Amino acid sequence: MPARSSRSAAAASVVRVALLWTLTVTCAAAAEQAQTSAPPGDDDAAALALPFGDAAAASTTRSTSVTLEADQTDSTLAQGGSIDAQRLSIDARSNLALASQWRAILADRLDLLWPGRFDEAQQINTLKEAYLSWQPRANLLLDLGRINVRQGVGYGYNPTDFFRADAIRAIESIDPDSLRQNRLGTVMLRSEQLWDSGALTEVYAPKLAEHASAAPFDPDVGATNAQNRWLISLSQRLIGSWSPQWLLEGTDSGAPQLGWNTTAALGDATVAYLELASGESPSLWRQALGLPGEDSVHTRAAMGFTYSAANKLTVTLEYEYDGAALSASAWSAARHANLAAYGRYREFVAAQQELPTQHSAFGYLTWQDAFIRHLDLAAFLRLDLVDHSSLPYAEARYHWTHLDAAVRWQRYSGDASSDYGAAPTRQSAQLLLDYYF
Amino acid sequence: MFNQVHMRRWLAGLGTALLALQGAAHAAEVDSDAEAQRILAASDAVRNPSRSFGLTTSLIEYHNGHQTDSNTLQIYAKAEPESGQYRNLIRFVAPARDLDKLMLKNGNDLWFYDPASQASVRISPRQRLLGQAANGDVVTVNFAKDYHAHLSGDEEVEDGERVAHHCHKLALSAASSDVTYDNIEIWIDATNNRPVKAKFYAQSGQLLKTAYYRNYQRELEVERPTETVIIDGLDHQWVTIMRYADYAWRDVPESWLQRDYLPRFKPQ
Repeated sequence: MPARSSRSAAAASVVRVALLWTLTVTCAAAAEQAQTSAPPGDDDAAALALPFGDAAAASTTRSTSVTLEADQTDSTLAQGGSIDAQRLSIDARSNLALASQWRAILADRLDLLWPGRFDEAQQINTLKEAYLSWQPRANLLLDLGRINVRQGVGYGYNPTDFFRADAIRAIESIDPDSLRQNRLGTVMLRSEQLWDSGALTEVYAPKLAEHASAAPFDPDVGATNAQNRWLISLSQRLIGSWSPQWLLEGTDSGAPQLGWNTTAALGDATVAYLELASGESPSLWRQALGLPGEDSVHTRAAMGFTYSAANKLTVTLEYEYDGAALSASAWSAARHANLAAYGRYREFVAAQQELPTQHSAFGYLTWQDAFIRHLDLAAFLRLDLVDHSSLPYAEARYHWTHLDAAVRWQRYSGDASSDYGAAPTRQSAQLLLDYYF
Repeated sequence: MFNQVHMRRWLAGLGTALLALQGAAHAAEVDSDAEAQRILAASDAVRNPSRSFGLTTSLIEYHNGHQTDSNTLQIYAKAEPESGQYRNLIRFVAPARDLDKLMLKNGNDLWFYDPASQASVRISPRQRLLGQAANGDVVTVNFAKDYHAHLSGDEEVEDGERVAHHCHKLALSAASSDVTYDNIEIWIDATNNRPVKAKFYAQSGQLLKTAYYRNYQRELEVERPTETVIIDGLDHQWVTIMRYADYAWRDVPESWLQRDYLPRFKPQ
């Protein structure tokens, strides 16, 4: 992105922010007006005299949702200087009943970006899902088209989420939940058989193109369907409500990968989880650089727990392990050797949504209705346990009936060539508006 | 000698009589608790239909008399064949930001699904997804399956429309740790087993919520409450009104009540 340099660009930026805030204030005022009021009181009689408003009268048959999102981001660069950028996004999702057994699912996102100059607009369209679903029996479903199949129980890292590689076209936020939302599905044929205590899913995703496309409105099947792939997943309730999931994934070129997901409730406030994937594969370094060599068995894991306090505060702590990533000594050598190879490795690992080093930690905190009603706080810390670099992130979000206003902050910390310290951006602040139609 | 023998016989007789009295008292208490449990089950049958069903629940939340929030949920409930307790599949309908999110509750096994990320996340029973309402407030629950009932006497109680009713007062204590509230006091109309009012307590004895059941209408063959007014026990200014509509028999297949079905769920 070009560095901010001209007064005209800055002025345009100010105008856009002013327009965004005007939209905020107008919508907020409309939302407040929509609220009803009743005579105050402090006993049961006053409560029982309250009217039942009509704001909750919503259609239960609604099948389409549309979100309009606008943001202003100011970033400080690691090399000095700063840039600002604006974005406007339209996200639509629809689940339409075509006939009694047939449905059409469509999910798409269009990002309009102004990275630094108002006259340098860019567009990126992400066709997230587009498929037909047929349910000939209550316990059998068949789907054909582009589907976002998402597996795994981890929060910050999902080694069993086998269709995540190369699926992100535009990064709106580094929040793991946002990365899962705004990605391409994979074109596939999927069947799912359900029974009372479990389910069996089979997926076949054919090779449809050789390479990914950077064209703004390209469906980009080359990113997600560059090779033939298959996946089988089995969930089965075994003891009480314990219901682990097994997965087996394969491609034309590599050995099958085995996956396992399980969760357990520890009392009424804590949930523990474990996600594992293992199989023979080349190391990430060899894959990134296209180096020959012997494959070996690599294991990947995410494990942790989530604790919920009575005041709507939820804390997740997670340990992440990627056996195919570089060990501490190999990472140290890579950082100080061939810069081009190091850069290619980082780029490859980011696209695959893998970890660059073998050991990481992730802490995630959410606090609903923090301090005041409708104010939600979220924060996370990613920590590379090998080079001790870190990425803290925080968001404060206030929501009205149809509108959210949020501020975000993130900072990449660490030595110049470390996992997070090597990022081109040092720090970012973001103002964000979401309108839900 | 005679006196000692007489005294022993007299004491033995007295002991037998006391034991008999204690036994009779215990039997009466057992009978009373069984009757309390029967009343509670009859009250559950007024609130909840006898087989799988669906309904739409609208929640409006007030603070200091001003509306602060609203939600609309579509709820599908199916009783577990062995325990008789309901499993619930809940679809969020409003506000727009929550459209088509799902919550599956099967005892302590809770899953939350977001269609935007296709992610099914297991959550703890304590984790709340709504405003002031606990997850346990919106799901269908048979109290008689989760609580031991004790008859505390009869009282005149005003209902949610300020009409007095002659009620049985039952004290409920949790039979397992899977429940939202440790103790409940519930007032049930002595003439027709309709729930009139309930108070929900924490283990510490702290009053958490007071609920009034009102606006009885005929739904799925029985006169049922179509509104519940919930008043916060700590701050009486927090009030949630829940309105139930669109009752319908819904055949919810057993296989839909699992995590793997959540991404495939389609509203009926």
